[in-house]
Amino acid sequence: MSVPTLTFQSNDGVEITVARDVAERSVLIKNMLGDLGDTDEAIPIPNVNEAVLRKVIEWCEHHKGDPPNTGDDDDSRRKTTDIDEWDQKFMQVDQEMLFEIILAANYLDIKGLLDVGCKTVANMIKGKSPEEIRKTFNIQNDFTPEEEDQIRRENEWAEDR
Amino acid sequence: MVLSLDCLPEELLQQILYYCQPHSTAALEQTARRFRGVTNEPTVWRYYCLTRFKFWAPGHEISRRLVGPISGSSWKQLYIVKHSSYRATTRLLDSILSSQAGRIEKFQAIIDLGYDAKDALLHNISAGSNMDDHLARRYYARAVLTGLHRSLAIREWAKLRNGDNVSLSRALGAFDLFIPESGFGSLDEIIVELDDIMSSIIKSHPDIHLLTCRDKARTIATFLRTNNFTGIEPGRGYHRLEHNFIGVSLNDPAHNSLPLISAAIYCHVARGLGLDARPCGFPFHVHVIVVPPIGFDVDGHELEAGTQGHPIYMDPFRSDKETPIADLQNQLNFLGASTAEQSTFLGESQVPEIVLRCAKNILNSLQRGSNFLGVRSASVDLVSAKYAAVWSSMLLSDPARPIELKHSLTCLMELLAMEFPSDVNLVQRFITPLFYGMAEYDNILESLHVMRAVDGIPREVKERSPRHGTVKYKIGQVFMHRRYAYRAIITGWDVECGAGEQWMRRMGVDRLQDGRHQSFYHVLVEDKSFRYVAEENIEPFVTDITDLPHSLVATAGKHFKRWDVDRRVFVSNIRDEYPND
Repeated sequence: MSVPTLTFQSNDGVEITVARDVAERSVLIKNMLGDLGDTDEAIPIPNVNEAVLRKVIEWCEHHKGDPPNTGDDDDSRRKTTDIDEWDQKFMQVDQEMLFEIILAANYLDIKGLLDVGCKTVANMIKGKSPEEIRKTFNIQNDFTPEEEDQIRRENEWAEDR
Repeated sequence: MVLSLDCLPEELLQQILYYCQPHSTAALEQTARRFRGVTNEPTVWRYYCLTRFKFWAPGHEISRRLVGPISGSSWKQLYIVKHSSYRATTRLLDSILSSQAGRIEKFQAIIDLGYDAKDALLHNISAGSNMDDHLARRYYARAVLTGLHRSLAIREWAKLRNGDNVSLSRALGAFDLFIPESGFGSLDEIIVELDDIMSSIIKSHPDIHLLTCRDKARTIATFLRTNNFTGIEPGRGYHRLEHNFIGVSLNDPAHNSLPLISAAIYCHVARGLGLDARPCGFPFHVHVIVVPPIGFDVDGHELEAGTQGHPIYMDPFRSDKETPIADLQNQLNFLGASTAEQSTFLGESQVPEIVLRCAKNILNSLQRGSNFLGVRSASVDLVSAKYAAVWSSMLLSDPARPIELKHSLTCLMELLAMEFPSDVNLVQRFITPLFYGMAEYDNILESLHVMRAVDGIPREVKERSPRHGTVKYKIGQVFMHRRYAYRAIITGWDVECGAGEQWMRRMGVDRLQDGRHQSFYHVLVEDKSFRYVAEENIEPFVTDITDLPHSLVATAGKHFKRWDVDRRVFVSNIRDEYPND
């Protein structure tokens, strides 16, 4: 018996077929299938283009055996920023793709992938000065000099570490 | 437009901030207007507060904030305050480590931060061995933290002295705060453990509230005894020091404790379960008096309205049944107690009396222990235990008996000078007022003044000039005493014997082969005492740090940064005094 599959259609019209258990890493898809039952029709993913969708599926393939998320979001425990080796390699993409993946993971509700994306961005901010952060993410400084000065003074405590 | 960080919706930016360091979040705030909202989000700062800091000074009212609306607290401001305390603590500790001068003031500055200093201190107590000065760091961080805990304990006894209401459990728990090994850092932690026992009784006896006074008293005693919360295991030395500490005994899997502590545990649990249970001042063995509610006897029978029924006496240390009052009276008759004394011995003992009794028990245990040299209690530091006993007996002493107070003073001042110099402020605040109007008052103030002054000035520098060429060994050398065969570490030297004439005579210094005109060394001995040893008695000893007693290595932090694996000596942290060693 063949593995049950599903077909997705990206917003640029490309159809991609994946094993059902891989597709169900997405809570959105899983719930949708629960509501609709089996379907042979391609499921449109309106916000995600082919390149990003393939990338997301690649991640889901690799992580299909992961234990399901326990929903344990303990607010008093510090979240680790460690990323495993495979995920680190996986996230070596340009910034455009990185943010696309984060948005897609958020839309498709794939918590593990969203976490890896957020950690990757956090690590890019880590240890940088405001000017370095602007440079990294191409952020325009829209503060007046007075505002900038005031905010800098408000944050002087953070220099002491 | 190229997709970038500023295109992400607020909720995703917030997710990212959870993975950022707080100072990175502060940096992001400064990049552009777009990020000002999310980087000031209270949820994010609340998360930083709760994940970075475990201990909170009461003034922050952290538990009130936690149940209140998230926007009701300025979590970012709170984080900044905590961060600053953390940094201040670390800087003060670094400064304590870098110089022997001014330590009293620096200790005090950290202790003034209260619980806001604790996270930073704990962080330093667990300093990794890769740190250049980890022995010193761990030692002084622990010393400050214990000083902080002591100040809480002393405040509790001072309240008791003032006649404020302090529960028996808290007053006895204060002893544990003197003992670093107890693992307790606040009285609340001890109360939580006691309340846990209460909860487990309710769990195993859900209908306990329906029982009569007598049955309830028995049920509690039986539960405590079958679960080993009271009494001492057969074959164990009754007078062991650790049996005097309520917290230590709660933590000990076998919960060994003296009758006084067993009675206190019983009283706490019984009162929580609605019994009127109080410690009884019976000689040699604290019992518990359980008094029925007014208008009823212990079996729940109604009495004439307003009548107080007869109490029963429980002995949770050794029995799960009540002790007949006739037995207790017989014992008192045997001891020759008068009728008046009998009613005192069978009556309730007030909390200060129990604390004093506990202090006496501790001193008694210490005295017995000193008859068996070498038998050391692993779980309780002897000096700290003695210090706790002296403090409590002074604070709760009977004003009508100043002799006892004066007697304790000598001991307290000695411990203060030798072991706890950073407590001068505590002594000034809580001990000097006890001597108001007595001759000792000015003497104490003068001693404290001298201690502060000496602490404030840098140590006299002892350079190894040619004149000192004769001093053979260096600071940090481990040696074996030629005559007494103990192991010790050199912590200081004099070119010639620098002790007073009287000491030299008493010690027979002139009978040594090289007499008084040889180098003498200050040393830290493996029993944690400090001694003064002639050079001819020093036999250098090649060892490994793992072969030295753990307690010696921990105390070595007082003078040393770390162990040098290659040279097999301790690395000096007192180079402000001995720059060439």
